[in-house]
Amino acid sequence: MKRRDEVLVGLLLIVSVAVGVAGTVWLARGGLSSGYDMYARFPWGAGLKNGQPVLLAGVNIGFVKGVKLDPNGTLVVTLAINNEYQVPSQTTAAVEPNGIFGDQLIALTPTRSVTTFMAKGDTIPVGKGTPTTGDLLSKADSIALDVESITAAVRDEFVSGGGIADLRKVTGEMAALVAELGQIASAQSRELTITQQKLRATLAAVDSAVVDSTMRSIRTSTANVAAITEELQHAQGQVRSMLTKLDNGTGTAGKLLNDPTVYARLDSLLMRLDSLAIDVKANPRRYINLRVF
Amino acid sequence: MPIAATWRTLHKGASAVLREFGEHGYYLRDIVRSARETDTWPRETIRQMRVIGVESVLLTIIVAGFLGGVTAFQTRFQLFPGVQLSAVGLIARQSIVLELGPLLTALVLTGRVGARMTAEIGTMRVTEQIDALETLAYDPVAFLSLPRVLAAVIMLPALVMLANVAALVSAWLTLVLATDVRTVDFVEGLRISFIPFQVIYSLIKATCFGAAIAFVCSYQGYIAQAGAEGVGKATARAVVITSVAILTLDAIVAAVFAPFVQA
Repeated sequence: MKRRDEVLVGLLLIVSVAVGVAGTVWLARGGLSSGYDMYARFPWGAGLKNGQPVLLAGVNIGFVKGVKLDPNGTLVVTLAINNEYQVPSQTTAAVEPNGIFGDQLIALTPTRSVTTFMAKGDTIPVGKGTPTTGDLLSKADSIALDVESITAAVRDEFVSGGGIADLRKVTGEMAALVAELGQIASAQSRELTITQQKLRATLAAVDSAVVDSTMRSIRTSTANVAAITEELQHAQGQVRSMLTKLDNGTGTAGKLLNDPTVYARLDSLLMRLDSLAIDVKANPRRYINLRVF
Repeated sequence: MPIAATWRTLHKGASAVLREFGEHGYYLRDIVRSARETDTWPRETIRQMRVIGVESVLLTIIVAGFLGGVTAFQTRFQLFPGVQLSAVGLIARQSIVLELGPLLTALVLTGRVGARMTAEIGTMRVTEQIDALETLAYDPVAFLSLPRVLAAVIMLPALVMLANVAALVSAWLTLVLATDVRTVDFVEGLRISFIPFQVIYSLIKATCFGAAIAFVCSYQGYIAQAGAEGVGKATARAVVITSVAILTLDAIVAAVFAPFVQA
């Protein structure tokens, strides 16, 4: 009985101690040999604590194992990285917000197309992190100040500077103008209505018989015009044939127009007539010998 | 006349409190002195370790299991949108390891172990077995009290350690099976701001609570009045005093050690 008590008590104590030690080591170090250390240096006030996650390109690869205050203004942060991961060279580390309530994580951002890796125990250079809640609040504060100044300017312009009174005056004038335009439009509408009524009356007054006779007269006139046109075409044909004959020099007229000998004869005839006329003027008695008695 | 009566009442009350403290002091002195009786207490200590520790494992784990599950579940649904889910792991760990694990284990063991202790010793007192021990030249404190105090001081931390682990495992299972918290979030939260001293802090509390349970309950049994009613009264008083003592010690340990618990 006594021996059994001792065994049971010993077993319970051993199990408790083992569970406690294993759990503590697992929580504090992530296990006995589950990773290796890397380092990073951040400025004071980065809000880092043990256990915060370390993400490589968004993948959880470890946790913050230790944060040591360096008097030169930096925090030396030990990162426990799981053995299955390696940190590519040219990777930068940044402290980024984890959620919106001030918790932090360490984001490792690798450069693309790099195939070499940092050695275990290296210090990862610090890069630029995403804006923190403080940054966002500061930005929101500056935006709020801008909005406030714009509001003040608008108030000055519209309230103190009488902008609203001007606006009301313009609105009143616009209302009057619109009313006037409305009156014009209604007057125009009345005129149009009257015109329309007159047109309808005129159209109604047109006698269809008169229209028919008019149409018949138009048709007759059109037929006459067609006959005239035909005669004109015929006459045109005759003129064309006559002109053709004239061009060809056939016939008397053609010869008159086209034969150069006719021209030469006429020319010499005219010259002789001229000389005859001159001679008649000079010596009329030669040609005219009037004797009355 | 009323002033004189009030004074007498106050005097009686203060005297009674001081007498209680004094008698507890004497009892503590007797326990320390009884450590010389090395032929008496080691064997009984092992037996008490089994009674207090081994026989309480199942109850402790069941209580811790429910404690962890409920804590984690409630914590998850107290978070409003936007809080990272790893906060559940962090809050569950801090609640369980720093406070609820040791405290609830101690309170449960007060009922299970402390009441039994008082009833056993009280019955021995009223049946004059303690007097018989003295007659046989045995130191009753070395035989009855010291083993129980030692056993409780040693076994409470062991039980609390198991309780912490059981509660955290239960919290993890509850979160993964019944909520949208994933294992990665929970483990991430468990590791945030963890320092090994938090476990030691939990064990310090457990040690103090174990000592309080054994000391108060054995004392109340030791001074039990005659008769079954006396034993019943002693048992009830032991449970009440032990519970108050545990909560008081909880506050004292927190006030002393809490600054060192922060990572």
